Formats: sequence, structure tokens, C-alpha cells
Amino acid sequence: MEQSFIEARGANVHYGEKQALFDINLDIEEKRVTALIGPSGCGKSTFLRAINRMNDLIPICRFDGSLQIAGQEVYDPAVDVVALRAQVGMVFQKPNPFPKSIFENVAYGLKIHGMTSSKTEMADRVEWSLKSAGLWDEVADRLEQPGNSLSGGQQQRLCIARTVAVEPKVILMDEPCSALDPIATAKVEDLIDSLRKDFTIVIVTHSMQQAARISQRTAFFHLGKLIEVGDTSDVFTNPREEQTQNYITGRIG
Amino acid sequence: MENQHISSRYDKDLDKLKQRILDMGKQVITQLAEATEALDEFDASEVDRLVAFDRTINGMHQDIYTRSERLIALRQPMALDLRQALSPINIAGELERIGDHAKSTAKRARKLEGHEAGGPARDKIREMSGLVQVMLTDALRAYAESDIALAEDIRARDRQIDQINKDIFAMQIATISEAPQDAETHVHLIVLARGFERVGDHVVNIARHVHQIVTGIDLKATS
Repeated sequence: MEQSFIEARGANVHYGEKQALFDINLDIEEKRVTALIGPSGCGKSTFLRAINRMNDLIPICRFDGSLQIAGQEVYDPAVDVVALRAQVGMVFQKPNPFPKSIFENVAYGLKIHGMTSSKTEMADRVEWSLKSAGLWDEVADRLEQPGNSLSGGQQQRLCIARTVAVEPKVILMDEPCSALDPIATAKVEDLIDSLRKDFTIVIVTHSMQQAARISQRTAFFHLGKLIEVGDTSDVFTNPREEQTQNYITGRIG
Repeated sequence: MENQHISSRYDKDLDKLKQRILDMGKQVITQLAEATEALDEFDASEVDRLVAFDRTINGMHQDIYTRSERLIALRQPMALDLRQALSPINIAGELERIGDHAKSTAKRARKLEGHEAGGPARDKIREMSGLVQVMLTDALRAYAESDIALAEDIRARDRQIDQINKDIFAMQIATISEAPQDAETHVHLIVLARGFERVGDHVVNIARHVHQIVTGIDLKATS
């Protein structure tokens, strides 16, 4: 096993009185794609959002236990959440470009984090990000056009470019292809595969085939518990737990 | 027995595929039995029918392959489902090879017509044929019922088939030196016994496939 980069130990999440995650112990390896799968309400998105403290936005949400990224406790009160989210970027289900130009969409994070010192450096960084997201060739001649003038698949890759621009260590993806057609999905999946050489990626997906295609590790959640985690090739061919088998094969269990 | 799918149509498709394997298996067992009978009671038209029927067996194999392929394409199965969708291709392949052996046994009956030598070897070949037919019946039952204990038992029984084959070989070699004028008949009997020994191997392969469907472990790879 590779060295783990994100470590959850005894992680619990409550929404008010309702417990959404129960005693999660999960190691996520560096520069690999980990897929979180499970039926709706199983806690996979709650776990994903716990990693960059997106759940802090929900007042009744409470986390206890330990969650570390590269040895740093994410829920340490001293942690600057804005800085954390620069380190742990997120791509959402629906592409959500800002109502700005393609260039400004990518430049936005660089500006607010003060990551460039000149216009040239900014332009270089935007170009690098768009190239990393496999979008540069399609938009190089229209960087001033609005981000939302792009197709859905291009918009999602623009959001990925925006995320990678600030060079996070981790990219969280919450069903990033659910609003995309198969061609756009294939492009995003190909992109995810190329991004894993530089980033640790955690993806929530309802598509078993997608999880099998793009991830190296898969974690199956059910009713707020982590049922099984293992190499993707094992989980989808010969899972250890019957609950996992029932879920991935669409059985009543 | 594993749980049912949420899509009941999926279960029906898998059941249909399984039923086609069982139907093909029954036909192959009948072919083996009738080809063995033809060795004792030669009937030219019956042998012609047996040889021609091999095309039907081959057609069943092709039909199962096509259905498995379609199931995989449409359902994109995983884990146990993937093994259940792939296994008919493998099992039908083994049955098709056993069918080929039944055909070659029938053809050899033509060559043995009018030759009476090798009585003891013929008895043993009849015994082998009976044993492999029972083994195949049980292998199909193990497949139908996902019974890995029965599949394991079949693998053990194959040793008996191998031993009879060796006995026939030794017996025929001794007989040829005593009565060289019947050498051709004795060689035919050696080849027939060797064929039934191969049938035993194909049945063992089916038992291995059953084990792999249920457990996900390929015994051939681990042994």
C-alpha cells in the first residue's frame, strides 16, 4: 500500500441529532484516485465535504474524531479554512463557472490568494491551468468570452482548470460527470486520469463503471458506515463484503 | 443462493442463459451415450445422424456466446454478475469440445465395424463413458445449484478416469504384442479411451468454472 495522505480516524458527523457518519477509519493514498461509492444517503458526500470542511457551512453539522491531511489536523481550531480550501479544491456536480470571462474564471483563485506577481505570470498560470484541464486548445482564441458560453463538458473542465490553478494538494469531486453526456464524460475521466500524477483525487460517483474506470482505490459506504475499502480491481471483481456485492451488482440486499 | 437483482428482467436473462447451458449439456450427454452405444451396435444411419448432430451442438455454443456477449454489453455486469455472464461462454466451450469427442467416437465406430477384438478394453471404455456421463450430469447440477462441494468432488473423481485410461493403454500394448494382426483395432481402442480421458478433463474444467463463479477464485491459477 502507498503512503496515506488523508487519514480519517474515528470520524463521526452529526446533522443536529441525526448521525450521518459512524466511526470512519479511512486512509486515502497520495496521487491516486479514490472513489467513494454507495447508495444515496450513505454518507459518501458528507465524508467528501468533511475533508475540506464544506460541512462548516451547515450550522447544525458537527464533526468529531480525527481527519488529517499530510499530518495536519483539518479540524484544528487554528486552521484557516480559506487556506485549507485552497489546498483542497472541489469540483461540483453541476459546472458552476463564475459569470466572468474564461480567463477570469481561472485567474480568480490566483488573484484572491495573491499567487502571481505580474500580468505575464498570471497569463502563464492561466494557460498552464487550462492546458492541465485539457481545455486550452478549445478556448485559446476566446479567453475573453463568458465562461458560461461554453458547453457543459467544457464548463466542467473550466471548473477543473479553476481548481488546479491554485495548485491544491487534493481535488475533491462530487459526481463531476452526472450532468455531462458520454463524450464530455470521457474527456473529464481522461483528464482525471492525467491529473492524478500531480494531485490526490477523491471522487464521489453513482456510476459503478466510472468508479471502476478511473479510480485505483474504492470505498463503499452504507448507512453512514464504511463497509469496505480496497483496490478498485478487487472491489469490482471479488468484493469481500456481501453488502458491497449486492450494491455493485444491483441486488436487493 | 445469492440475492435477486432489483431489475427482475436481469434475473430472467441470467436464468435463460443458465437454462441454455443445461439444455446444451443434456444434448451432449445424450450424444456421448449414443456414440458409445454405436461402438457396440453399429448402425450406419444412426452414426450419420450423430455426426450431423454435432452441428446443432456447435450452433448452441454460438447462440450462448452471442447471448452472453449481449448480456455483458447491455448490463455491464460486475463481480459475481460478471462471472455469471462470462461463465456460459467458457462452459459452452467445454461442452462443445465434449460434443466433438462424441462425434469422433461415432466416426470411430464406423472403423471398428466388423472387428470384434479388444473385448476387455471395450468393457472399460463403456465404463469410462458411463462415469464421465455421470460426472458431467453432476457438473451441470453443480453449475445449476452453485454447489462448490459437488464441483470439488468431480475434480477428485477424474483421477479414476485417468487410471482407467492408463490401464487400457497398458492392456492394449500387451495385447498388440500377443495378437499383432488386430493391432489397428487395439490402437483405435487406445485412441477412444484417450478421448474419454479428455472428456473427463473438460468436465473438470466445468467444475473449475463453477468454483470460480461462486468464489471468484480460479483454481487453475492457484494450483
